[in-house]
Order: sequence, then structure tokens, then C-alpha cells
Amino acid sequence: MKILVADDSRVMRQIVIRTLRQAGYDDHDIVEAEDGADALAKVSSEQPDLVLSDWNMPNMTGIECLQAMRSSGSTVPFGFVTSEGSAEMREKAANAGALFLIAKPFTEDTFKEHLDGVIA
Amino acid sequence: MSTIDTGERRRSGDARPVIPELIDEATIQSIAEDAWTALVGEDELLLPMPGELPDDVLSSWVDVVGPWTGTVVLTTGRQTAAELTRALLWDSAPELLDHEDVADAFGEIANVVGGNVKAALPGPSALSLPEVGAAPAVRNSADVCRVEVLWRGEPLTISVQGALPPLPVSQH
Amino acid sequence: MRALVIDDSRAMRRIVSSTLEKLGFEVNQAGHGREGLDVLDGGWVPDLVTVDWNMPVMDGLQFVSAVRANPAWRAMTIMMVTSESEHTQIVRALAAGAHEYVIKPFTADALRDKLALLGLLPQEVAL
Repeated sequence: MKILVADDSRVMRQIVIRTLRQAGYDDHDIVEAEDGADALAKVSSEQPDLVLSDWNMPNMTGIECLQAMRSSGSTVPFGFVTSEGSAEMREKAANAGALFLIAKPFTEDTFKEHLDGVIA
Repeated sequence: MSTIDTGERRRSGDARPVIPELIDEATIQSIAEDAWTALVGEDELLLPMPGELPDDVLSSWVDVVGPWTGTVVLTTGRQTAAELTRALLWDSAPELLDHEDVADAFGEIANVVGGNVKAALPGPSALSLPEVGAAPAVRNSADVCRVEVLWRGEPLTISVQGALPPLPVSQH
Repeated sequence: MRALVIDDSRAMRRIVSSTLEKLGFEVNQAGHGREGLDVLDGGWVPDLVTVDWNMPVMDGLQFVSAVRANPAWRAMTIMMVTSESEHTQIVRALAAGAHEYVIKPFTADALRDKLALLGLLPQEVAL
């Protein structure tokens, strides 16, 4: 499976990748994007099977990226990994077409909970 | 955020809430502890104890804009910020850390702490991207909630501070 | 009470001016920060300035910084007007010396409530 990890923080991208491994999802191709615009371009060029994206990023936010994807007809599964985990944010995420929202800080168990149905 | 600012929210509750009415030190402490245990390590401790910050400090912060508007600021010694960066990077920390690495890591911790503080405050509200540098000044000393901790023996402060100046004294 | 409305959109200036006039203000207008400073330099010093954030020539942030640098204009209350997409910048404007902000679109009530809090409404108008 190819997973696109989008976050403007390189440190956080590494933490997400490391947590994926710790959660047992260690046999996958990882592609990184540093903002929403980069993520949108890579959804096209890399054809990932799943996008894990931060919400707040420069150039284009995660929600804008998701909205652009869905408007263009892309059905690639998308989940947020964000420091904002309120009910209101979760609703916005779901309405835009996200499968889940993982709040930071997260543990490997949080990842397993949300990703078990999504990643083989 | 609501599409039209009708002032309804303000009229129905506190016209302009200050942070001590909205959140307490214990909540901020707990948010920071969760961030540290998840990102830095399970055994990491943040001791709620005051300490004297060194002269050379670095701050990272995020802004919250909503019914309460202000900033969540983390401040610690520059060396401690570097140590925190290494701790966040685990095995992938380079030999020599550059400013970008520290700004990234310290900024991201502010994002995680700030995002959770935001969630505990009245909404809807928006969170800014993190910034790193010299701490933003306190605008209203009545609108601040401050937590001082020791991480690995080093002082670190978390300040949740309002951005609006105090209201003028009533002339009635 | 005097108010200076600074916005590059004529429609926006008209809407805000009209609201303020109904609240009892004498209103003057400017199309950007530089023009706003010209009004102040000319000796017409208002009690309230509403400033749009995004303007050509001199934007809201630059205007606020210029105003706060002049001790003769310290008593003016500065209210930033910003849109939803720019509003996470608002803390910068406040740090530069703005006193309050309002997000457009806003109702007359919202603006009036903030002015009441700031003590800028004539007594007969405030509830």
C-alpha cells in the first residue's frame, strides 16, 4: 500500500511514519508532502492508496486539499492527523469526505484503532 | 467559524471572557503532559514547579482566534529547545541540529499543546501556524494563565495569554 | 464622536459608515492606510478608526504600526476589519496596537456591541 503523509512539520511527518511502523503497518511505501498544495500534486503523481494529512499548513490547508480532491472526483481515502480534535473539527472533516480524524498527540494504539479497517 | 458575526455569542455569555474564567493551570498541565508522553516518551515527566529561565531563551507559539483571542506560548532555554528537538527526532536526530530543525520541532510542540488548549476553549475558533522566536508580549495581565514546569530538570513555561488590551475603565 | 473608516472597497466603506452614522458618529473615509494617515495628519483625529486588513499602498498592519508610533494619536481606538480567510493574522494586528477586531460579514449589532464594550457609544444609544 502507498501512503501519503502530509504535514508542514518534518519532525511530525517522521513521528507519523514511525508510529505507523510501531502500530504494525511497516510494509508500505511512504510518500511525504510538506503542505496541502504539495499533497494535492502528489495525490495525482503518486496515486497513493491513503492520505494522512495535517489540517493547518501553509499554501493550502489539509481541508482545502481534501475538498479539491473530492471536487475533482478523487475517492482516495483520506484521514486527518491534527492537533485540533474537537467535535466541530471532526464534523467538518467528515462533511468534507474524510474517513477519520486522529488527534495529536496520538499513540500507536490510536493509529491501530483508526487504521485497522483502512490499512490491510 | 460562524459565517456571520452577529454579536449573539457575546451578548449571551461573558461579553469578553478572560482566560482565568475559561481554563485553569491543571488543564494546561494535563494537556502538556499528554503531548510529552506521546511525542517524547512514555516515561517523560513535567514537574509542576517553577524554575528560573536562563538568559538565552526561545519561544514557540500558536494563535487562537475566536470567542477568546490570544496565544499559547512555550518558552524555554535555547539548549533545552535543542534537547527537546533531539528527543522528538529519536533515532533520526542528526549530529548537528540546525535552527530549522529546532524551529520545526519546538513549533510543532506548540501546535500540539495549542491545538488542545484551543479545543478546551469556547468555539468555534481558528488556530494559526506555529511561529518561533522571541515571545509575544503580554497585552493584558488579567488575561493570562501560566504554567511553569521542569522537564528533565530544565524550566519550561506555557503561557496562555489574551491578545486584546484591557477594556477602558467605565466612566458611568 | 468621530470615526474614520478605512477600506479599499467603496461598498464596505459605505456600509460601515452608515452603521456608524446611525450610532451617532461623525464619519470620514479613506481608501487605504496612506490616505488614512493623511486625514490624521490634516488634524482630523477621530475617536475610532475601523481599518480593513488587506489594502493596496499601505495595508492595515502598516497603518496600525504608523499610528501607534505617534503619541498624539494614542487615544484613538483602532478596530481591525478582517475576512475569515485572513483572521488568523489578527493577533499580529493586535500586537501592533489595534484594540479590537471584527470579522466580515458582520451585523450592525455585532459592531455596536463591541463599541459599547469599548465605551465608544454615546449614552443614549447604549442599552
